[in-house]
Amino acid sequence: MTGRLFRAELLKIKGKGLWLLTVLGPLGVVGLQAVNYGVRKDHLFAQSDDRWGDYLANVASFTPLALVLGIVILTSFMAFIEEETGAWKTVAALPAPKSLLFLAKFLVPAMLLMIASGLLVLFTLAHGLFLDPGGRVPWADLLIRSLLPVCAALPILALQYWLAVVSRHQGVAVTIGVLGFLLTYNAHMVPDWMPWRWPALAAAGDGAPAAIMGVVFGIALFAAGMWHFSRKDVS
Amino acid sequence: MEQWIVETENLTKTFGRETAVDGVNLKIAKGDIYGFLGPNGAGKTTTIRMLLGLVKPTRGTVRLFGRDMARERIAILRKVGALVESPSYYPHLTARENLETLRIVLDAPKFRIDEVLDIVKLTAAADKKVKTFSLGMKQRLGIAAALLNEPELLILDEPTNGLDPAGIIEIRELIRRMPSEYGITVFISSHLLAEVDQVATKVGVLDKGKLLFQGPIGRMRELARPAVRLKTDDAERARRALLARGFSLQRDGDWLVLEERTDERVAEAVARLVQDGFPVYRVEEEKKPLEQIFLQMTAGRQAG
Repeated sequence: MTGRLFRAELLKIKGKGLWLLTVLGPLGVVGLQAVNYGVRKDHLFAQSDDRWGDYLANVASFTPLALVLGIVILTSFMAFIEEETGAWKTVAALPAPKSLLFLAKFLVPAMLLMIASGLLVLFTLAHGLFLDPGGRVPWADLLIRSLLPVCAALPILALQYWLAVVSRHQGVAVTIGVLGFLLTYNAHMVPDWMPWRWPALAAAGDGAPAAIMGVVFGIALFAAGMWHFSRKDVS
Repeated sequence: MEQWIVETENLTKTFGRETAVDGVNLKIAKGDIYGFLGPNGAGKTTTIRMLLGLVKPTRGTVRLFGRDMARERIAILRKVGALVESPSYYPHLTARENLETLRIVLDAPKFRIDEVLDIVKLTAAADKKVKTFSLGMKQRLGIAAALLNEPELLILDEPTNGLDPAGIIEIRELIRRMPSEYGITVFISSHLLAEVDQVATKVGVLDKGKLLFQGPIGRMRELARPAVRLKTDDAERARRALLARGFSLQRDGDWLVLEERTDERVAEAVARLVQDGFPVYRVEEEKKPLEQIFLQMTAGRQAG
């Protein structure tokens, strides 16, 4: 049943540019460094001997921002598709458990963000090889910095998705999303216990604790949202 | 014991201190076209949402096909098709893709999409984006969607709202065909008596959350028949003159309101008045708005 619901959700986002956004996100993050290194490559390479490491750290400085922005846009969009013409009532009257409907719809932005993270690996590597910093490619660092932030951002995804789906219009979810984006932007000032700090911690390279916390707390938040949604009246 | 397709018992929904639906007992039999009448805000849509399990009743039960909605929601919904309020759709997708999003979940065969498009006569527009559709076409698409799972019960909430006369006739034809051609029981809500009058075999009247009347459409028609108003120079004297001739009527200011409404009796009343020397200035038919019929029903209930 979840599979069928998920396929229906994929059909609904057809032609809405979400796939394009999935490519543009990581492309933008790497693109910023393309500009950065394009303008002052010699200067940047002169900073230290660990040219690959510096490059990966530079890319990763924008990863949390792109991720949180992507979360706000994607979740809000998934809810808006139903909200636009009042389709929630039609979907909720289908012979399918509402909890699975909630899950299937959640899987779309979750999947797109994972694909975006995978693309980030590819784009970062491709641009890195093009820059030719010399030395061996630091694979572990590359994978950790690209793939763990999305795990660490899971609580933000679960929260934004929940807000987007249950609020009467997207203003509430987007406003909170923007506040979260500002927290992410200033992540170095945010205490460690706040989820908006976690993507930055994960991107910084030693992200395993943040990623594990993210997955655990994210699943808990998602379960709470699912419980609420499946009991809530559909207006 | 008769097996009801829809049976609610003391169905009640309160929002805060406001009671939207108040102790409603619906009974709909197989093959009925049930017209659910009531002014806007009477609680019709809330009732329908409870019939579909979208909203949980504060009190009371909903049973469809003899099954309890609170316990067997999904099994029930497999046999129900619904169009609630305005039609919902995904404007960036074609009609076919819109139906496909539902078909995948319902696990209905692919050819069913062509069948329902044909039933609502949208085959020609199947591959056009729904945002280019007229309201009537969107409404028909909504009905097509409701028919996808070959339902035994079709619930349509104000299906002709906002349609032009041609669209209204089309939908009406469609609804009429449902029980005879497809064996579907139809539940249709409307705030217009004339609308329900055209298609329904049974009606329920809801006002301020309470079910005022439930029964065959014939009895409803009796109550709704238009009254005839007459104007002469002296209403009181004319009234007495007609009373003396055995007519039943009432006075309303300068007007006489004739309670007998057959053509013959109206003609007779006018003839009598003229014979008795009362000039007849006006003879008007007064269509009673639904609200007034409701009032009559409440009055009837209190008297009975």
